[in-house]
Amino acid sequence: MNPQLEGVEALGGTYPFDVARSVERMRINRFFWNLTQGAFRERFVADESALCRDSGLSSEEIALVKARDWLGLVRYGANFFVLEKALRVLKVTNLHAYAQMRGETFEQFLETRQVPEMR
Amino acid sequence: MARVIGGIGTSHVPTIGVAYDRGKQSDPAWAPLFEGYKPVARWLAERKPDALVFFYNDHLTSFFFDLYPTFALGASAVFAIADEGAGVRNLPPIKGHPKLAAHLADALVNDEFDIAVFQDRPLDHGVNSPLTLLWPHEPDWPGALVPIEINVLQYPLPTALRCYKLGQSIRRAIESYPGELDVAIVGTGGLSHQIHGERAGFNNTEWDMEFLDLIERDPLRLTRMKHADFIRLGGAESVEVIMWLAMRGALSPAARMTHRNYYLATSTAMTVALFEEPPFFSEAKTLESAA
Repeated sequence: MNPQLEGVEALGGTYPFDVARSVERMRINRFFWNLTQGAFRERFVADESALCRDSGLSSEEIALVKARDWLGLVRYGANFFVLEKALRVLKVTNLHAYAQMRGETFEQFLETRQVPEMR
Repeated sequence: MARVIGGIGTSHVPTIGVAYDRGKQSDPAWAPLFEGYKPVARWLAERKPDALVFFYNDHLTSFFFDLYPTFALGASAVFAIADEGAGVRNLPPIKGHPKLAAHLADALVNDEFDIAVFQDRPLDHGVNSPLTLLWPHEPDWPGALVPIEINVLQYPLPTALRCYKLGQSIRRAIESYPGELDVAIVGTGGLSHQIHGERAGFNNTEWDMEFLDLIERDPLRLTRMKHADFIRLGGAESVEVIMWLAMRGALSPAARMTHRNYYLATSTAMTVALFEEPPFFSEAKTLESAA
């Protein structure tokens, strides 16, 4: 246990990404990280299913990717900063992903924000 | 010798760069942010630092988990703008300062800070988002930038105290540089925000205000905090404010915050703060805050 993280589990809804998780979930994180490469992005857009298979993703991982289940992916062990690459490719704003992770509609989420018209 | 002329703390939210590129400077929702950077940009234009030493984090763009350094110093003569999935921003490449970087590496390692050194890795929004609000880029950036990457996303992260000590070591290194250079230090990230999990969207303005007071007057108190404290008070990703502590460590204890702007609009408390070393040069020493 990392003493710097003591007590963090009590917060809920928070998943610190550590080396153990990183090792366990390297494959799915590398998959999303590859989206920083233009050629990989083109393959993702052209035939996502084939790319998932060719990348060696498990059926559980493929289902999470296909469902755009950002919360499920975070809980599974994907780091949000690689999910952000997929959000950019799919042209989904971060705010939409935050709303989904909170279990809210986009409109509900915006109602909780100070300047909802900022886009 | 080179000297540290001041420091800047700034958020690095990627949408700041997107809004800048789309010309939203006068958009009523964005203006409070852009206006708040103007005094800092003016200070840089007046003081003309030769180089910025820029504490930032790479967002899994140019570094990945196959090798994610705790601390890494960029030594190349030029750094490209990174493609983070949506193409490359239309900005000139960022000039490095190989001579200063090599000196910093020598000095840090001899000061028992065994830093990694990288070259030719593009810089992502951790650098380029705030940089466009600080420096003009047409026809080119007015100075050089030495990026120092800090791991704030794969635990174990360096402790808050370690980041502060890194800043102190950087200051000693700058002051032993054999040449005349004016250097400004930039620390990036924060303030309160959380962007993953069911707790996404968490903010805490009260804590942000306390943080801004402490980083100026009592940074040592912040160095005694654990990562879990930052996560609890400011949201999971706000732990990245340990990069502000690296900046603060490179300033003298007497440095004072002469401008600050705080704007919490949607998900991240977007903040910029200017720190000046005595003697103070700022025309306006008012502390402005638009919440």
